[in-house]
Amino acid sequence: MEKNNCLQVNDLSIAFGGIKAIDHLSFTVNQGEIYGLIGPNGAGKTTVFNCITQFYKADHGDIQFSNRHGKVVNLNKKVTHQVIHEGLVRSFQNIELIKDMSLIDNLLVGAHIEYKSGIIATGFRTKKAKREEEMQREKAVKILKFLKIEDKANSHIGGQPYGVLKKVELGRTLMSDPKLILLDEPAAGLNDHETEDMSNLLKEIRDEYGCTILLVEHDMRLVMDVCDRICAISFGKKLGEGTCLEIQQNKDVQEAYLGKGD
Amino acid sequence: MRKSGEERREIDGSKRGGSDVNGIEKKEKGLKVIEKKPPYKAYLLFGLFLILLPTAQKMGLIGSATITVLGTVIFYAIVGIGMNVLLGYSGLISLGTAGFMGMGAYMSAYLTADLNLPFLLSIVVSVSIPLVIGLVIGLISLRLAGYYLAIATLAVSEIFRQVFIEFEAVTNGFSGKNAAYPKLFGIIQFDRQLTFIFMVAVLIGLMIFTYNFIHSRTGRALLTMRGSEAAAQAMGINLLRYKLTAFGIATAYAAIGGVLYVHFIRFAYPSGWNLMLSLQILAVIVIGGMQTIEGPILGSFIVFGVPELILKQLPVIGNVDGLAYVFTGVLIVVVIMFYPNGMIRLGNDIKKLWKKGRKHGKEQLPASE
Repeated sequence: MEKNNCLQVNDLSIAFGGIKAIDHLSFTVNQGEIYGLIGPNGAGKTTVFNCITQFYKADHGDIQFSNRHGKVVNLNKKVTHQVIHEGLVRSFQNIELIKDMSLIDNLLVGAHIEYKSGIIATGFRTKKAKREEEMQREKAVKILKFLKIEDKANSHIGGQPYGVLKKVELGRTLMSDPKLILLDEPAAGLNDHETEDMSNLLKEIRDEYGCTILLVEHDMRLVMDVCDRICAISFGKKLGEGTCLEIQQNKDVQEAYLGKGD
Repeated sequence: MRKSGEERREIDGSKRGGSDVNGIEKKEKGLKVIEKKPPYKAYLLFGLFLILLPTAQKMGLIGSATITVLGTVIFYAIVGIGMNVLLGYSGLISLGTAGFMGMGAYMSAYLTADLNLPFLLSIVVSVSIPLVIGLVIGLISLRLAGYYLAIATLAVSEIFRQVFIEFEAVTNGFSGKNAAYPKLFGIIQFDRQLTFIFMVAVLIGLMIFTYNFIHSRTGRALLTMRGSEAAAQAMGINLLRYKLTAFGIATAYAAIGGVLYVHFIRFAYPSGWNLMLSLQILAVIVIGGMQTIEGPILGSFIVFGVPELILKQLPVIGNVDGLAYVFTGVLIVVVIMFYPNGMIRLGNDIKKLWKKGRKHGKEQLPASE
């Protein structure tokens, strides 16, 4: 793995029964870039995410990740809940927020690994536990401000508009000070205005928070607007990798999306 | 989780403040004090009220039997709070509560009466051992989910009950086991009133402890696990660890409830720790209100207090056998159908209605003039 590489997927394969969802896929994400993973429906994009974050165990291939301490680790050797400790966090295609909790509490879940105090310390409300909670809350408020939803901090998640929910999911990923964020369709279900807003947020996250972003998205306007590089896949196989322009001109990609022209 | 009126007002106030400097300042402040204050004061006041009850009894204001019933309500409330952490917050179910409660009760009775251990030490031992056994059982059975977990814990509880019957050296079998009122530090002998007050202190302490850890990383992790296991794992929450935590809390609280039971009632009988009791504990939190600290207390009062204190005093129907179970059963149906969030929210909703009504009235007033 080269020095400026953040994530390297090597020869990844996974099959469900007879269906090869991912077929010898390799790609590399560089530090500090927004990398898009695109493909028609059923191409296996979310499966790639699930393999990287260890929700699925790949049949073949390895996933090298330069973690938050700059050490290269093989994510395949990690259990699902350990992945975030390395500095890699993900969002979900179908929003996975907890509707019994307020916005800010949902964000604080994202900071779970940042807390040190256990059940006894929090139960007795020790000074250390209290300070820790205050610190995380301040951080959460900062992120809510950054997302411009701070006025809703104490509102319940239930009944919030879709645009707000998408932002909360994004905010939750930021709480763990990640190095790489995996976003599964951040713009799905958003209107034009909200999508533009999301594009700007993603760029700001890259530039101000210094995070690398790997995203799956169908909204091509967002992809072409924010992505530094793109990898297009279809039926689990790589069609092409490159800048937006290169991908747009790639024959295989055009074929996969638009069909064969005579 | 409910929001306190205070913080709502603060945020509303900041909105009304508009664009003037003062308003902005308020908004900043409002955001910083986002964490709501723990309701220690309310809990302590509630405790104080309970502590005054034995005195009221001495003065002849309430009957002696009332104190016994309220004592029962208190230790079942403690068991209910633990169960609520398991079912309400982490969404796991257990039908083994009675078994662990019985284990705590027998153990403390044996340790204090037969081995002459000091009361406080006996509490620690009688809670730790069921806790360890509970965690081991949890480690095995928490791989199951839903109904399977309920069946597994039910089986464990039935095994315990059989042990209570057979293990006569400790439990005295069918004859039942006697225990004494607690004796603190070997000198302060509690009577019924002091035991009652001690139980109130334990209840209030546990309420505060539970409130604190529920409104922290642990509580949020439990709620997340219940809402979405995928999200929980992605955020680094170790599912097995937090399932065990919730299971351990429920077990420990049940054992504490059992210890208090045996030193207040001063008698334990093997067939008392059966499925019926575990189901009644479930009824306590369903009726009282899940995901609240206060709900199980109200629930415990309704399930264990109301039948004894009120229903049995009624003419004619008061003499019907099993009236308490009918009452609980009907209430569960009614609550689930019409008030699924539990009776504890009734107060809040009435307050809201009243406020709404008053606002409405005020708006209408100028019109009528």
